[in-house]
Amino acid sequence: MSGAFKHLPIMMITLPMLGAALMPFVSYLRREAVPWVSALFLVVSGVLGLLLAGRIPPDGCVGYRLGGWEPPFGIELKVDFAGYFLMMVVCGISLLALLYSRLYIIREVEGGKITAYYVLFLLLSASMMGFVVTGDIFNLFVFMEILAISSYALVAVTGNRNAVRAAFKYLLMGAPSSIMVLLGIGLLYSATGTLNMADLAARVGETGYREVLIASFAVLVLAFMVKAAIFPLHLWLPDAHSIAPSPMSAMLSGLVVAVSAFAIARIAFSVFTVHSWGVVGTTLDALAAAGAAAVLFGGIMAIYQRDFKMMIAYSTISHMGYIVLGFTALNPEGLTGAVYHVLDHGIAKACLFLCAGNFIYRKGYRRIDQLKGAWREMPWTCFAFALAAWSVIGLPPSAGFISKWYLVYGNVKADRVPYAVVLLIGAILAAVYCFRIIYYMFFQPGEEGAWRDQVMDAPAGMLAPTWALSLATLFFGVFSYLFLDSLLKAAASLLA
Amino acid sequence: MNLWHNFHYAVAMVLFCIGLYTVIMRRNIIKKIIGLNVMETSVFLFLVSIGYRKGGIAPIHGPGADPSRMVNPLPQALILTGIVVAVSVTALALSLVILLYRQFGTLDVSRLFREEEEEAG
Repeated sequence: MSGAFKHLPIMMITLPMLGAALMPFVSYLRREAVPWVSALFLVVSGVLGLLLAGRIPPDGCVGYRLGGWEPPFGIELKVDFAGYFLMMVVCGISLLALLYSRLYIIREVEGGKITAYYVLFLLLSASMMGFVVTGDIFNLFVFMEILAISSYALVAVTGNRNAVRAAFKYLLMGAPSSIMVLLGIGLLYSATGTLNMADLAARVGETGYREVLIASFAVLVLAFMVKAAIFPLHLWLPDAHSIAPSPMSAMLSGLVVAVSAFAIARIAFSVFTVHSWGVVGTTLDALAAAGAAAVLFGGIMAIYQRDFKMMIAYSTISHMGYIVLGFTALNPEGLTGAVYHVLDHGIAKACLFLCAGNFIYRKGYRRIDQLKGAWREMPWTCFAFALAAWSVIGLPPSAGFISKWYLVYGNVKADRVPYAVVLLIGAILAAVYCFRIIYYMFFQPGEEGAWRDQVMDAPAGMLAPTWALSLATLFFGVFSYLFLDSLLKAAASLLA
Repeated sequence: MNLWHNFHYAVAMVLFCIGLYTVIMRRNIIKKIIGLNVMETSVFLFLVSIGYRKGGIAPIHGPGADPSRMVNPLPQALILTGIVVAVSVTALALSLVILLYRQFGTLDVSRLFREEEEEAG
C-alpha cells in the first residue's frame, strides 16, 4: 500500500480516541450535539475502513510502524484480513449501538453522566479496533486494559445498586485476569527477549525454555478465558451483561467477549504458531473441552432464565464456546467459522439486546412471561427479535447458519466428531430458548392490561438500529460468499 | 539455574499467590483490592527482575559507556505503563467501593451477595 492509504488503519483507531478526548468540550458547547458528534467519529472511522477494502491481501498482512520505528523495536500494527474484518465488525456494531443510545440512555443515566457515557463508549470501540489488529503483544495488553476499564465503568454507569454490584463483580474477576495477562507476557519476554508478534513467532521455535513457554501460554489462555467468559470462568458475565444499559449490553455481549476469545486465537496462531504445537497442544485441548462445556452449560442455563436479558447473557456464554471450538479445530475451516461467528454472533446478540432495550424503554418489562402477546403493541420489535433469533439458532439463510456450517465442518474435518455433535446440540438448545420467546410473543394471549391493542412501538431512532442489525443477519447470510474466500485464505495463512 | 540464584522469581510467585488468595478468600472488599495490588506488585517485581543484572549500570549511551554491562531498560518501561494501568484500576475499584458502601452500608461480600439472593427469591 502506498501514499495516504497506509495510514488508514491507525487513523481508524485514533479517531474514536480523539473523539473521546473531545467530547467534554463538545458537551460544554452543546450537550445535545454529543451523541451526533461521537457517531460522526465512528462514521468517519468506518468510511476510512471501507476505503481499505480490497487493499488488504487475503493471504498476507499490511504492517504499519507507529511513529516510524522499525519493528521489532517499535510498536507495529499488523492488519491481516481477519483483523481488518473484525475491525469493521466492531466499527459497524458500535455505530449502531451508539445511535441507539441517544434516546435510550437519557432514561437510565442522569444528565451529567451522559457525556461520560459517550466518552467511555468511544474509548471502548477504539480499544477493540486496536485490540484485533495490533502486532505487538504488550500493545495488546494496553488495548485490553483500556477495553476492560471502560467496560467496568460502563456497567456501573447507571449508578443503581445492582449495576454497581455487577460492575464490582466484573472488576474482581477482570482485574486479576489482566494481571495474569501481564504475567504471561513477562514469561514470554523472559524466554524470548522480544514483544513483537512476528519476531516472537520466529523465536518461540528456537528458544530452549520450553517449560517457560508452556507456562506462559497456559497463563495467557487462562486469563483470556476470564475475559471471554468461557465456561468455568463465566461467573461475572450474566450479572454484568444483563444489568448494563441495553445498548451497552449489546456492545459487551456482542463484541467485548468475542474479541477476547479471538485474542486467544491470535496468541495461539500469531505468537506461538503451528510449529510449537508440542508446547501449546495440551492447553488448547483443555480449552476445547471447556468450550464444549460452555456450549452446553450456557444453553441449558439460558432455558431456565426468567429474566429476558439474563437469558440472552447466558446464550452469549454458549456462543463463546462455539468460537473456541472453532479455532481449536486448528484448520482453516474452523478458524473461518470462528471469525465469521464473531460477526454474526455480534450482530444477532446486539440486535437481541436492543430488542430487550425497546421493551424496557416502552414498558419496563424484563421478565420473559411479561412478553406474552407483545406483538399486538410492538410488532416491529418482535419481528426484529425473531429474525435475530433465527441467526442465533443458526437456521438458513441467516449468517448464523454459515458460521455454524463452517464450525461443524472444521470440527468434523479435524476428526473431532463429538465436538461437532456438541455444536449441533447447542443449536437445539438455542432453538428451545429462542422459540419459547417467539411463541410467547406471537401466539400467546397477553395478560389483561399488559399490552395495548394499538401499535405503539419504540421510537424510530431506536427501531432503525434494531432493524439494521436484524437485516444484517440476513445480508451476511445471503452474501457470505463475498467474504468467505478471503477469510479462508487469511485463516490458512494464519495457520501456515 | 538453581532456585537460590533465581530466588526473586520465587518471591514474585509467592507474592502472586498471597495476592490471589487475598482476592478470593477475604470477605472485606477493600482487602480484596489490597490483594489485587499485591498481585500487581508481584508481576512488576517479576518483570523488573528479568531486566536486572548484577553490577549493571544505567542504560545511558555516551562516551565510555559499556553496553554489555547495562541493565535491560525495556521491562522497566513496561512496568511504568503497568503501574499507570494498575493505579487507574485501583481508583475505579475504590470508587465502586464508595458507591457500594453508600447503597448497601456494608463492605462484606457475603452480606452483599446474600441480599442479592433475597431480592431474586
